[in-house]
Amino acid sequence: MNRTLRLARVLLSVQYAYMLEYRAEIALWALSGLLPLIMLALWSGAAAAADLSLSPAELSRYFLAAFVVRQFTVVWVIHVFEEDALQGRLSPYLLQPLHPFWRYLAAHIAEQATRVPFVLAIVLAVWLLGAGASGWPPPSTWLLGLLVIHLAFLLRFLLQSVITMACFWSERAAALDRLLLIPYLFLSGLVAPLEAFPPGLRRLAAATPFPSMVDFPARLLSGGEVDLLGGLATLAAWMALLLPLYLLLWRAGLRRYAAMGA
Amino acid sequence: MGRYLRSLREFWSSSLAIELEYPANALIELLSVLGNLAGSVVVLALFYGRGHGLGGWSWDEALVVLGIYTLLDGFTSTLLQPNLGAIVNHVRTGSLDFVLLKPIDSQFWLSARSFSPWGLPGVLAGLALIVLAARRAGANPSLLTLLGTTLLLLCSALILYSLWFVLAATSIWFVKVWNATEVLRSTLVAGRFPVSAYPPALRTLFTLVLPVAFLTTVPAEAILGRATIPWMLASLGMAMVSLGLSRGLWRHALRYYTSASS
Amino acid sequence: MAIIRARGLGKCFRVADKQPGLGGTLRHFFARRLKDIPAVKDVSFTIESGEVVGFLGANGAGKTTTLKMLTGLIEPSAGEVEVAGYRPFRRQAAFLRTITLVMGQKQQLIWDLPPLDSLRVNAAVYGISEAEARRRIDELAEMLELGEELRRPVRKLSLGQRMKAELLAALLHRPSVLFLDEPTLGLDVNAQVRVREFLADYNRRTGATVLLTSHYMGDITALCQRVLLIHQGQLFYDGSLQELTQQLAPYREVCCDLGAVYPPEAFRGFGELESLAGHRVRLLVSRDQLTGTISRLLLTFPVLDLEVNDPPVEEIIGRLFREGAVA
Repeated sequence: MNRTLRLARVLLSVQYAYMLEYRAEIALWALSGLLPLIMLALWSGAAAAADLSLSPAELSRYFLAAFVVRQFTVVWVIHVFEEDALQGRLSPYLLQPLHPFWRYLAAHIAEQATRVPFVLAIVLAVWLLGAGASGWPPPSTWLLGLLVIHLAFLLRFLLQSVITMACFWSERAAALDRLLLIPYLFLSGLVAPLEAFPPGLRRLAAATPFPSMVDFPARLLSGGEVDLLGGLATLAAWMALLLPLYLLLWRAGLRRYAAMGA
Repeated sequence: MGRYLRSLREFWSSSLAIELEYPANALIELLSVLGNLAGSVVVLALFYGRGHGLGGWSWDEALVVLGIYTLLDGFTSTLLQPNLGAIVNHVRTGSLDFVLLKPIDSQFWLSARSFSPWGLPGVLAGLALIVLAARRAGANPSLLTLLGTTLLLLCSALILYSLWFVLAATSIWFVKVWNATEVLRSTLVAGRFPVSAYPPALRTLFTLVLPVAFLTTVPAEAILGRATIPWMLASLGMAMVSLGLSRGLWRHALRYYTSASS
Repeated sequence: MAIIRARGLGKCFRVADKQPGLGGTLRHFFARRLKDIPAVKDVSFTIESGEVVGFLGANGAGKTTTLKMLTGLIEPSAGEVEVAGYRPFRRQAAFLRTITLVMGQKQQLIWDLPPLDSLRVNAAVYGISEAEARRRIDELAEMLELGEELRRPVRKLSLGQRMKAELLAALLHRPSVLFLDEPTLGLDVNAQVRVREFLADYNRRTGATVLLTSHYMGDITALCQRVLLIHQGQLFYDGSLQELTQQLAPYREVCCDLGAVYPPEAFRGFGELESLAGHRVRLLVSRDQLTGTISRLLLTFPVLDLEVNDPPVEEIIGRLFREGAVA
């Protein structure tokens, strides 16, 4: 236990120092997640917004929350892993008594920590511009929201880790992730609250893990009505499905990696 | 001049040879173009549900804008992404040394060295959508209108190229900004919609600072027969200025190039 | 005729100064401290056309920085440099056609394609006609003993084959000034010798000027009549290799096979004992005492065989940098 804590502390602090070196890039990255705010600007002027059950204030809170959720659920493990595998850095990692999964997870958490000031600055700017100015839920909901954001992040990390295993079989696995990004973009609730979708599309979205990654945490965070237990159960169910799949693929992948003599 | 054309031929035939080593990419890119297009159309449809409009543009007119966006996105994948995305790596690994020592304009080399055929489906899909939607919107363009539209599309491409190049060139100073261009790409998503759909403040921003308006809305107006001389001139001016800026910046940046040691 | 001329050449780099650990990271985040590091200071030399000059120095001594200033990759912060009548940093096309740079640890060949494809690109860029390019490729390939390797993807080539192909790509435009930075890095002994022989041959045939850095003294002794020694950014020596060894090592190596085995103490007073293995002893003897020492050795020990050599150059240079003997 002691060793685990120490390992976590060292891993996180070294990764944090590393990420601070990349702070300019991370600031830019934070900027690259502006899509929910662009969509907010569109929806706030669109006549179609009148058909939604959300009031303008609720809508702007929703998109601001979706922005925050998106910021802290960004996952890039596939790109790092692909590069590590191609450049041969993976082999030394495999010789260490620590599953590389943890190394990448620590890097992501450190990156999120680096992101905090930039995200706060953007949120503050948007808030000062008058969007989502009122009607926020009490702090207790916020804490719950933070927890759910982390769960959403874990789910996304797990999903991408599963895709990442394709690196063992293909030199261009990252392209697969670009494909996966499309349904994520359109079905997660980043571009519109799910209730704006026609019923058929909405049912389709609900059958995928994507709404759990944005719609559920954003709705919770913005004080909307949510089925808390149902949402958490969905998150847990998807993770319970993906984790064994990941472990299975990892083992098969390693066998292949070893066979290739890399 | 002849030397440049011959170089271009060799550049592109060699990159084609590389890309054809990975045929699976063709399928992935095709799926990605179609998926993105379908998603964008669905999102656009959300705004036009129950007879609503968006920024004073009809459904078919808005589809023209989306078509131009898809075309430019294809152009980005074909030329900008593979070339300008590689500049950062050139700086990081020091292989920029070889580029600088070639008796050919280094900006030309860096901008035209690679060619990815996988952006072409996007270009074709964009063109098809433009023609189809413009027809349905009742446009009956004269030869002059077509020429004007082509000129404006050329301006769009130049502006887009210059923005990308300027961002990529900053990697001379900030070696680690390897995703700065991704920020640009994600922000330009705003160009999927006519600029009049945004609130006034953003409209100004998208015209003067981040010229999204010139990229998609202005050419779309042109093909719909609504182009005005001032906007055309502004677009032309914007293209010239940004191209000049990119060249000036590159020359300036090279003075700061220290070349990765060893 | 002097083809390379450097006068008072200097280069300063500005680097960030960060303490390790989280505290250092945070301090660095809020207040970046920058230091100016002089990499090269006041270096002057001239090189005549057709010379092969070795560029020596420890890691970080400033060799690569100087090379980069000579090729025009970086701008000197002080002094002047002229190569083949051009200011390198302006990188005029005519200048770039005259020179080439080969770096052992960087490659310009396209990884996924056979070298021939990269060569086609280079031919187009340098404006060499296809027929002429084919002729030159054939000629260089023959000198480099490259054949069907040129038709195999670069990633499938061995390091030695790749380096030879890199050389071919770098020489396609017939440069008259060659800058080579560690051209034999990582190659096995055979490949090293092959590359060396090729460079000597190329120099002989074309009269090209060659400036090369290498960690392998073998490269230097085989190719260079003259060396420049750079130490902590300053030019420390400029002259023939032989004089350098005499200046740095005013002694010679005496190597004897003896008829019996003696303890190390037995050789006291016969110079510095370099090694003793069974019947074989190596002694370093200063030049002025050489004849006296040899005759005493012959009188004192049953000498079966005796040889007098210059000590190996690696030994001398290595000693120089280890002891920091440079004043």
